Amino acid sequence: MRKRKKAECGEPPMCNLIAMVDIMFLLLLFFMLGADMGRRELAELVLPKADQVKPDDKKENTTDVYTTINVHHKYPEGGFRCAVNEEGGVCRESDHWLYAIRGREYTAADIKPRLDEEAAEAMETEIDPAAGQLLSRRKVLIRADLAAPFGDVNKLIELCGSAKLYKIEVAAAQPPPEEMGK
Amino acid sequence: MAGGGMDEDNPVAINVTPLIDVIFCLCVFFMCSFRFKQLEGKFDTWLPKGKGNQGVSAATDILKEVRIAMFWDKDAQKTIRRMGTREVRSNEELQTLIRDSYRDLVLANNPDAPVTIDAQAAVPWNEVMTVVNICKREKIDKIEFALGAPPPQ
Repeated sequence: MRKRKKAECGEPPMCNLIAMVDIMFLLLLFFMLGADMGRRELAELVLPKADQVKPDDKKENTTDVYTTINVHHKYPEGGFRCAVNEEGGVCRESDHWLYAIRGREYTAADIKPRLDEEAAEAMETEIDPAAGQLLSRRKVLIRADLAAPFGDVNKLIELCGSAKLYKIEVAAAQPPPEEMGK
Repeated sequence: MAGGGMDEDNPVAINVTPLIDVIFCLCVFFMCSFRFKQLEGKFDTWLPKGKGNQGVSAATDILKEVRIAMFWDKDAQKTIRRMGTREVRSNEELQTLIRDSYRDLVLANNPDAPVTIDAQAAVPWNEVMTVVNICKREKIDKIEFALGAPPPQ
């Protein structure tokens, strides 16, 4: 009798891992579904907030031909650093601001041929009576960082116009509901 | 037999330790790369088809448009906004001024008059978008961008 009791007490304690595995699976599922992996062409930048923006309708976008152009500050890589930008200031060095289309970066001097290519891929079939020429039906979404110089964004719009891209849209972030109307 | 333990119910023991390790690694990866998706929207700013770039006229008829001049004060690192000769400090004041000026234009039989944002190249895009947003709040869709406002006197 005494021997048997000793044997029961000597069994190693069993840790039930099933509950932990369940929770881990749920966490994994949450992070996998919440991860924003699909839109790699959107660069890391902070958009200006505007409460009057139209929500980005994905259903509408499926039939349209779209080009997204990001206007962002040069990233600190390859020995490049900008102290003003890193400290949250407003950098006004013109060569520090770049345009990016599908991950490829351009300056104001070399983006025009790319815009021409983008426009040429989706030209209208008939001459526009108001413009008196063929225009592109491609829509251009400009995502400019909130600190980007207006001159650079305006230059980009001007270049789009000269490349026959006239359907321009500018992106802004929708503020959270508690900030609406401020 | 009747008093059989767990080993008899589950004769095949599965070692879950590697499974937990892998799930931990996956969890750490997704937690590190996770960031909440920002809700984005857009303003349609379609370019006029037949007009092109018209440049900035020196003599602007104040009864044909609402013009907001924006200057970048490099020393103070802030934007100065002006309507006419009046400096506008707050967004509420700017909204009231735009509303009143636009109403005057409508009363003067000029409902298609644009709001022209005449900003220096160095003005941050955020400030320009704030003015665009205020115009949209006032249901004004015709907004024009000009570039090259002279520095303030």
